[in-house]
Amino acid sequence: MTEFLQAMAQGLLIGSTYGLLALGMGLVYGVSGVVNFSHGDFISLGMFLCLALYSALALDPYVSLIVTVPVMTIAGGLVYWYLIRPMVGHQFLMVVQLTLGLSLVLQNGILMVFGGQPARTPSVVESKLWILGDVVVRVPHVIAFVISFAMAIGLYIMLRSTDFGRSIRAVHQNAHAAALMGVDVGRVQTLTFALGIGILAIAAALLLPGTPIQPSQGLRYTVITLIVVALGGMTNFVGIMLGGLIIGLSEAYGTIYLSDTMGMLLPYGIFVLIMLFRPQGLTWSSAR
Amino acid sequence: MRPEFYKTLLSPVWLAILLLAAVLPPLLPSYYLHIIILSLVYVALASAWNIVGGMAGQISLAHSLFIGVGAMFSSALLLKLGINMWLGLLISALISGVLGAVIAWIDFRFRLGHLSFVLITLAFAEMGTVVAEGWDFLGGASGLLLPRDTGNFLAFQFGGGIGAFWVMLVLAVASILINVAILNAPLGYYLRTIRDNENAARAIGVDILRYKVAAMVISAMLSSVIGTAYVRYLTFADPYLLVSPIIIIEIVLFATVGGLGRAYGPAFGALLLVPLGEILRGKLGGTLPGLHYFIYGVVVIAVILITPRGLLPLFETWWARWRRTGAVPK
Repeated sequence: MTEFLQAMAQGLLIGSTYGLLALGMGLVYGVSGVVNFSHGDFISLGMFLCLALYSALALDPYVSLIVTVPVMTIAGGLVYWYLIRPMVGHQFLMVVQLTLGLSLVLQNGILMVFGGQPARTPSVVESKLWILGDVVVRVPHVIAFVISFAMAIGLYIMLRSTDFGRSIRAVHQNAHAAALMGVDVGRVQTLTFALGIGILAIAAALLLPGTPIQPSQGLRYTVITLIVVALGGMTNFVGIMLGGLIIGLSEAYGTIYLSDTMGMLLPYGIFVLIMLFRPQGLTWSSAR
Repeated sequence: MRPEFYKTLLSPVWLAILLLAAVLPPLLPSYYLHIIILSLVYVALASAWNIVGGMAGQISLAHSLFIGVGAMFSSALLLKLGINMWLGLLISALISGVLGAVIAWIDFRFRLGHLSFVLITLAFAEMGTVVAEGWDFLGGASGLLLPRDTGNFLAFQFGGGIGAFWVMLVLAVASILINVAILNAPLGYYLRTIRDNENAARAIGVDILRYKVAAMVISAMLSSVIGTAYVRYLTFADPYLLVSPIIIIEIVLFATVGGLGRAYGPAFGALLLVPLGEILRGKLGGTLPGLHYFIYGVVVIAVILITPRGLLPLFETWWARWRRTGAVPK
């Protein structure tokens, strides 16, 4: 029973961050129909930026957010404006190959700068634990959980009630009509992509304490993110956060109750089944 | 089969290139021979992928599964059960064919969009990696070491170096010829119809399931056979190299750079990029690991932005313009 609760705590806490990772991708997909296969490598980039700031200035990952968020947001904006925007609308499948190429560039750029050895970025809260009855939770996971949900709620409010949020929803529903209403579609898409990458910078810092990082991890994060987004129905906000929790839980339970290999296969199995039988995602009503 | 196929088959350019390629290797130092063999492997793989990814327009990322089955499974059959590798090659090819048919059927049955197809095949590829690293029969994460290549043809050994070159040359040429044949056969027309407009194809009575399965099975079996030959050349069946999604991403990028859906496009891309990457890795691999992948990435982004149809069509246009205006008489 302890094992069960422990796995549940772990799964929920990690899953919330998966949800946050996926929100960025879901937003971008909703607004421009682009699925970014270099998503995971941008997470890597965020993590390695934190590592660099730690090595150079001994900054804690949570503090280095002051630098990584603006840097990544600007990088995301530039990537969309100069690389992806020319593709949207025609040659649509080429975006897949383009972002795969971008993934190679990022992954190996990181490899060239930092080398291939697994690295750690220490944080002051890294080894702190909270003991709640039988369950032991790590403080970084709790921080990740709280910030992820705060971010999700903040994004939701932003989408509901700011002008920028309304223009995002307008482009999502009908880009052509939005353009006729005077919304600058290209600008909204670029800003959304930048926002999505900026969110990744935060998620990267949240995942970082206690996790060894290496440049080749990017694709795994991309796939996890894709799974969560598909589970949540691609653009449904609540669904995506729920999807993150489900994948976090299935990973935690899979590795405890099944063999290691089976545990790692479980999320992919769930993903394939979802894509086949409920391509609209797990939630029933779309929160458009 | 249209007569163009036979014309291509007997064209002097083709035969001259073949002859040149066939007499070249004994004259080369072994390092360059290795680069040429590697290029031929990727020419073969990219051309095999082109049948599904280029002609039918379905970006399949599951081909690392077929290559992996061909490489890892045939090695495991040889080492764990003592089954001759020729037989192992056949068994692996059959398994890959069945896997391919299943994936094509799933795609048809659930009417996946192009994007969902990419995502699902990526999930299959990732599952393949997890299985290969976790299943002891396939050697797990440490891989399998094949016995030394003594040149015993009956045991699927070709004597390394030049022998491997011949095998790969045969496979690469076969792969390209199959591409040319399909493009000139009804299957090629059906596939391109399906790629350009699936609903219209259905409306005029194209049996979509049949041709999608046919394309996938041919492509999967070919990839599997190439995988078996490749692992025999490497002698070390490394799951991180042969089953990883990286190998299929490379293939997709080579095909894209060369020109999707063309008979020679993917081969062209591989011939251009593999030697470049290998030489870079040889010269700078110690100081800057990953530089060759970095450059692949930059090249593919540049090509997609400048000429999305690939380099080969671009060069063909230049060539035609030069012929029209330039020195060559009509």
